Amino acid sequence: MTHSETITHDVIIVGAGLAGSWAAMVVGQQGVKDVGVLSKIHPLRSHSGAAQGGIAAALNNVRPVAGTGPRGPLEMIPQGEENVDSWELHMFDTIKGSDWLGDQNAIEIMVKEAPEIIYEYEHLGCVFSRMPDGRIAQRRFGGHSAPRASYSKDYTGHVLLHTIHEQALRHGVKFYDEWYCLDLIVEDNICRGIVAMEILTGQVVTMRAKAVMFGTGGYGRAFNITSNAFANTGDGVAIAYNAGIPLMDMEFVQFHPTGLYRHGILMSEACRGEGGYLSNRAGDRFMQNYAPDKMELAPRDLVSRSEQTEIDAGRGIGPDGQGIYLDLRHLGREKILSRLPQVRELAIDFVGVDPIDDPIPIQPTAHYSMGGIPTDVNGQVMADANGTPVVGFYAAGECACVSVHGANRLGTNSLLEASLFGRRAGYAIADFIREGGELMPLSGDPSQFGLSRIKKILDNPGSESVEQIAQELKRNMTDNCGIFRDENRLKLAGNKIAELKDRFKDARVMDKSARFNTDLLAALETEHLLSFSELIVGGALARTESRGAHSRTDFTGRDDDNWLKHTMVRREEGDRPQFSYKPVNIDWERYPPLERKY
Amino acid sequence: MGTEKATIRIQRFNPDTDKKPRYEDFVIAPGSDTTILDALHLIKTERDGSLTYRRSCRHAICGSCAMNVNGNNLLVCKTPLHQVLDRKGQVTIRPLPYMPIIKDLVVDRTAFWEQYMRVKPWVIPPDAKPEKEFRISPEEVEELHNAETCIMCGACYSACQVIGLTKQYIGPHALLKAYLRVLDPRDSAPAERLADLAGGDGVYRCHTIFNCIDACPKGLNPTQAIETLRKLAQKRKNFDQARKERQDKLTEPIQVG
Repeated sequence: MTHSETITHDVIIVGAGLAGSWAAMVVGQQGVKDVGVLSKIHPLRSHSGAAQGGIAAALNNVRPVAGTGPRGPLEMIPQGEENVDSWELHMFDTIKGSDWLGDQNAIEIMVKEAPEIIYEYEHLGCVFSRMPDGRIAQRRFGGHSAPRASYSKDYTGHVLLHTIHEQALRHGVKFYDEWYCLDLIVEDNICRGIVAMEILTGQVVTMRAKAVMFGTGGYGRAFNITSNAFANTGDGVAIAYNAGIPLMDMEFVQFHPTGLYRHGILMSEACRGEGGYLSNRAGDRFMQNYAPDKMELAPRDLVSRSEQTEIDAGRGIGPDGQGIYLDLRHLGREKILSRLPQVRELAIDFVGVDPIDDPIPIQPTAHYSMGGIPTDVNGQVMADANGTPVVGFYAAGECACVSVHGANRLGTNSLLEASLFGRRAGYAIADFIREGGELMPLSGDPSQFGLSRIKKILDNPGSESVEQIAQELKRNMTDNCGIFRDENRLKLAGNKIAELKDRFKDARVMDKSARFNTDLLAALETEHLLSFSELIVGGALARTESRGAHSRTDFTGRDDDNWLKHTMVRREEGDRPQFSYKPVNIDWERYPPLERKY
Repeated sequence: MGTEKATIRIQRFNPDTDKKPRYEDFVIAPGSDTTILDALHLIKTERDGSLTYRRSCRHAICGSCAMNVNGNNLLVCKTPLHQVLDRKGQVTIRPLPYMPIIKDLVVDRTAFWEQYMRVKPWVIPPDAKPEKEFRISPEEVEELHNAETCIMCGACYSACQVIGLTKQYIGPHALLKAYLRVLDPRDSAPAERLADLAGGDGVYRCHTIFNCIDACPKGLNPTQAIETLRKLAQKRKNFDQARKERQDKLTEPIQVG
């Protein structure tokens, strides 16, 4: 693990979920054949595959049956009859869902191109659930004012991921399975490649490329109760930050209202989209007190806060009172089996409850990272608030912040965003290569930083386990930087992270071998968690308002006069985060900020 | 369960330092809802950090954590520990069979993925695309769902005795994927696919032992898919003709009722 070799590609993509795989496929399709995709796990293990409920687009295939209200049955829209949905409506819903922090130019592109990407998926073999006339079926989702979620039962992400991975293979993309990115090489604001470790051998390799793209996913693993996979440790976000790239809106972390009680495993929002209820210990459908109109189909930030309020008031369920009931019984056996088979199996396997017979115990769970690496609408990473490009560096999907989700993402908009902006990044990268993007020279041996990180961890006799530090960090983030935040708790959180960063210097790994060292990986990942957790807390402490998923009990209102702006944070000398702000892209004529009520 | 102790016997092997695999016992005190993966995580983080296994989503959708537990292949993330403990409170965990060991419970899946690639897992759609979606009936989609939820975990592959004999066999995982493509009305190359599948390494190699069905953690039925492919391979010219006729109508609404 001492020397480093060099591998060269035209394009290197880190991460093989929907964003990375779309970009890879498109670059290949466009005739740029020298593409390498790295993933620390096999591409088909990527967490995009865990998405369940659907992908949004105003297709106008179904409509609510007239006169049955907002939770009534749906029917096909007969050929030639009036549409119920439009990109304008999808746009307004997304902006309102974002609590006006989403950039409206990016949102407009997303909602306009949404139907096109659904049809492209369909043409590439994606197995969507169907209406009787053969059109793609659609269901309701929280915060969307029309039934616009296309789905494949409750396996939507799985089906999309497999489809796009297969097509990337078809276009000859080379995958580096189980390679771990350690560092991003940026000099003079030009990206020159990455440094990565082959997990199998432990060998560290400098990988040069004309263009690099990150599609490395979210950072939910910084929290104790989370729907996220073990893999979602925000590596790309931390690596970019440590390479001098700014991050945007890191304080906005979405808590999904229905994670399995004590496990955090996702119970799809489709449960409520199909008509499921939420109830407290007294059996009350408490959402009538918080969102009388949308009820259970209010956006996620609002529903999670409502649940937490019920729990904090002593109306939760379970031995510790930290749970809420998700009740699907009235949907009936047939609908549960046909529309929500995965959810049912998970409830049976993990909490021993069959949703056909009993309500499912759930609780809010850290789910989605709205913040990330700032990009323009073509995945081009920006070096500052003015939009100066980091030449040759692209990002898309959950690791990026374009920003379409603003302060709170609507369900089914993430599969859309990852796919659509992954695809756009693919086109932009292909153009960049064709227009003469070059392999830029390196100064010195860029692998030294990655090698020294590994050496420091392996050589450290250490006195404390990495896991202990990771656990304390996660509890700290959930307790002090969770659904409800205030100055005192955020300061506690910040102090704790500083302490843990210090303690990490004395952390030990037990596995000292070169081969497939997952103990070392966990240490590197924990280092990343510590890197960006500080930024979540710092951004949250500075933002003295409540907006979307960021909810301050000491500043309960949204404050557009002072805080209608994106947070930018950059690493300054001495590892100190430097915060600055950037205006939100708003069309003041069409979509001015309004009060957000559901 | 509860305060009862459990003995987790794990096959360990690092080819760089060990001559051959050995067993190591770890005694833990599991909770009532501890999964096998929880137990492995506890051992790795508290006892021996060099214990090596793959895992990611921990809810049975990513396909990383298939292992051999007491002789059966399963996903350790979704299997409660108490379900696999014997009367002495012991369980034996080994890597998936029939694949070279990389380290401890991590196996080399190269041959597995080569067979996946061999069946060309991607749809080959018609050249002419409609403006919107191809029209496919809910019934046609339901048939595809029986194969589409495969997570490529390898539990079936390494339970298959034919794979134990020859890595040339395409294997249940890849044949299930091939079935998905052959059955998809959008796929334009079912005849070519069936011709390859009917060759020496394909559907006729299956001995119908049903191990794959028992092993599948998603309740899928590769054997039945292989049976169907055999039948279709017999009459692939007719099937190809029927597909061409079906594809002529792919852009038309399905007649309802």
